[in-house]
Amino acid sequence: MTHDHGRRAFLKAAGAIGVLNFLPGCGSSTPLDGVSLPDRGEAGRFLDAHELDTLRAVTGRFVPGPPDDPDPGAIEARCAEAIDLMLGAFNMAVPPIHAGGPYSDRAGSTHNDFADFVALDPLAELGWRIRIEGSQGLPEREFAGPVIGLQQIYREGLKHLDDQAQSRFGSDFVSASSVEQDLLLADLTDGDTQTFVGTALANTVEFMYGPPEYGGNQGLVGWIYTGWPGDTQPRGFTDAEVGTPGPITLQLAAPDAVALMQRFIGGFGR
Amino acid sequence: MSKPSVLIVGSGAGGSVAAWALATAGYPVTILEKGRNLLPGLGTASGIGTKFGNDEIKEGRYFENQDVLLEPRTARSQREAANGTARSFTGDVNTLPTCVGGGTVHWDAKTPRFWKHDFKGLSTYGPVPNANVADWPLTYEDLAPYYDEVEAKMGVQGDVTKMPASTLAQAPRSGQFVLPPNPPMIGGQRIAEGAARLGFQCYPFPMAVNSQPYAGRPRCNSCGFCTGFGCPIHARGGAAVSFLHDAMLAGAQLIPRAFVYRIDTTSDGKRATGVAYRDASGADKTISADVVIVAGSAIETARLLLMSANGAHAQGLGNASGQLGRNLMFHFFTLGIALFAEDMHAWMGPASTHTIDDFVGPDRYALAARAAGLPYLKGGIGEVGGSYSLLGEAEIYNAVPNTWGRLHKNLMRLGMIRRHIAAISLVGEDMPQLANQVDLDPDVKDVYGFPVPRITRSAHKFERVASEVIGPQLMAICQASPGAIGSFLLPVGELAEDTGAGGPLAGPASTAHIMGTARMGDDPATSVTNAFGRVHELDNLYLADGSVFTSSGGFNPTVTIMALALRMARNIGNQ
Repeated sequence: MTHDHGRRAFLKAAGAIGVLNFLPGCGSSTPLDGVSLPDRGEAGRFLDAHELDTLRAVTGRFVPGPPDDPDPGAIEARCAEAIDLMLGAFNMAVPPIHAGGPYSDRAGSTHNDFADFVALDPLAELGWRIRIEGSQGLPEREFAGPVIGLQQIYREGLKHLDDQAQSRFGSDFVSASSVEQDLLLADLTDGDTQTFVGTALANTVEFMYGPPEYGGNQGLVGWIYTGWPGDTQPRGFTDAEVGTPGPITLQLAAPDAVALMQRFIGGFGR
Repeated sequence: MSKPSVLIVGSGAGGSVAAWALATAGYPVTILEKGRNLLPGLGTASGIGTKFGNDEIKEGRYFENQDVLLEPRTARSQREAANGTARSFTGDVNTLPTCVGGGTVHWDAKTPRFWKHDFKGLSTYGPVPNANVADWPLTYEDLAPYYDEVEAKMGVQGDVTKMPASTLAQAPRSGQFVLPPNPPMIGGQRIAEGAARLGFQCYPFPMAVNSQPYAGRPRCNSCGFCTGFGCPIHARGGAAVSFLHDAMLAGAQLIPRAFVYRIDTTSDGKRATGVAYRDASGADKTISADVVIVAGSAIETARLLLMSANGAHAQGLGNASGQLGRNLMFHFFTLGIALFAEDMHAWMGPASTHTIDDFVGPDRYALAARAAGLPYLKGGIGEVGGSYSLLGEAEIYNAVPNTWGRLHKNLMRLGMIRRHIAAISLVGEDMPQLANQVDLDPDVKDVYGFPVPRITRSAHKFERVASEVIGPQLMAICQASPGAIGSFLLPVGELAEDTGAGGPLAGPASTAHIMGTARMGDDPATSVTNAFGRVHELDNLYLADGSVFTSSGGFNPTVTIMALALRMARNIGNQ
């Protein structure tokens, strides 16, 4: 409780001087207990060492950290390792698909329930095996037709990036310059690359901005640079926090701001 | 003499209310639920726990919703159906949570009542061309006491003194809400002021959220993970925590992971005898009962009745009228968005704390209706003041090609969608159409080996015109809100209509408000159930979900599903 009061007092003071930002709480900022994440050059749970290094480079282009951007990015958040953890989920006693509940230990609970992943029952496991491993021609997985699994999407996508890097720049992807890497990932005429980018970008932001128990967002870097409080139960917010606006932080002229909004929210409609 | 046994298919809003009313009246009740139980301790003296949390990853991973790979649905437009296209999309089509408690495990608990005129559309306003408009076989007054009881049991907040006279004339209340409103969200307050400047009236949104401790559950602490998230502290009422828990304490038996695929009847088809289901181990089982209540939601209920066709019911159970599966209604959403220079943190709080219902009409829109060649025009209620959470915002940026790299970081740091908008979301009424229907897909099967539901749907001119007329009003209110530096319109319903079920806006436009498919009425020739939800052709088969809605109104439907289910259960109890 003392901690809560201290935090509230801090927020109130911060609001008063116009820098209100909802900082994530203290507590766990690392993945499941007993699970270590592979370092550079080490094989992952599913990807081999080179594939994982390549995926690190890809995620680092999607959400860059230093030196491209002052704040930590996907490499610092360890998004590639989290993706590998998902691809190898069925090598673990309880696959880390659905974190437990109701609370982490970041907002007033002494126990981190998120770290106690919810066991999949046989039906849920079948769905996630199809999603991750693919239907593999098995009749019990192909009732609605064949499904290409995430493992195959990543393995083939990373290989494709290496092939493209070789043919265009004479090196594998991870050895290409960041500009060359960006050129390959941004090539909208390459359907195979864009299929991979769609999946890998979605998973990168998932692990960048989701709870750290899934393996990404290590050190809560995705929440700190965005000023996002993360999970706040059981503490929640005060009535004053709900009813008081934060400072003016949108510095664009109104027409520019509306145009930017329309580009993104309206972009859905394309 | 012991009371008749009751079997309920589905543990969502309708099923749980019926289970509670019947179990506490001494009926032996069994509930079969297709999904898992994610609320450990439910129905036990130790109290209700939860596996839900403030977790955006889990929300997107088929934790409570049916897994789209195991139970896909298919979709096509009316035009595609007319051209003989079997389907143009396979995947997630308006799925609801498939777990114990159904959709209310992650609803935002908004509980506006339907209005008098919603029950009597045909006799009040006349027919609409190319729509299947009909009166409900009951009135607002018939339902009002059940609204009262459901609201008191769940703990609904609001303030009758702040409600417009026009609202109370259409949906009169017997008294004040049992709970006062939540702390008002700043975005809603600003838009309320904008609305007032333009002659619209904003008031506290009625919702089943504890603003104070109620029914043994704590008050809401505005964590912001509301719509689409299970409440980690049970501050939100709903089917499981407010009804099913007590039904189980009164003796009702819950069987999770029980997929019902057939309702059995006597050979003359006049009585349901029980159901066949697949259990958690994959074994096929049957269970008999004196009364069968189906509450699987409008799409799954229609599918089950169609799959239960037999010698006495060749076109599906209770489908002599040909109306089964037809008149499928969703709500048609339109967003007005206000942009503020200040950080409005509109993601915080219980989704939204304010509402405006001046958009219901129809008087306000008489001229626009005439100009469009429609006899009248109705919109719906506006949900005022919400925005997006962090991962949700990132996913919006991802949808635009090559929006990654430093641009992504800068957009996320700025947080324009997360921090600087507050929106009005119009819950537009959908016209019932015969051609909008659920049937059994001829080819695609689910994990159980049964045909998946196929949704054929196109919007009626009515809801499209309403969106076009009301959208600019939403935008004007946003622009008039103190501190707003800009506003714009996002007609998600219309954009999704134009891009199809597989289009990028189908997801945002997708709704959990699913109605019709087994409409109630007095005449068995034109409806599937009577005013108590009993299927006309069978003596003991009842429907207790959105399937029985004759019209969709412009209001979040759950509290009306609950009130109808309670009325139905009390009627069974009186027989």
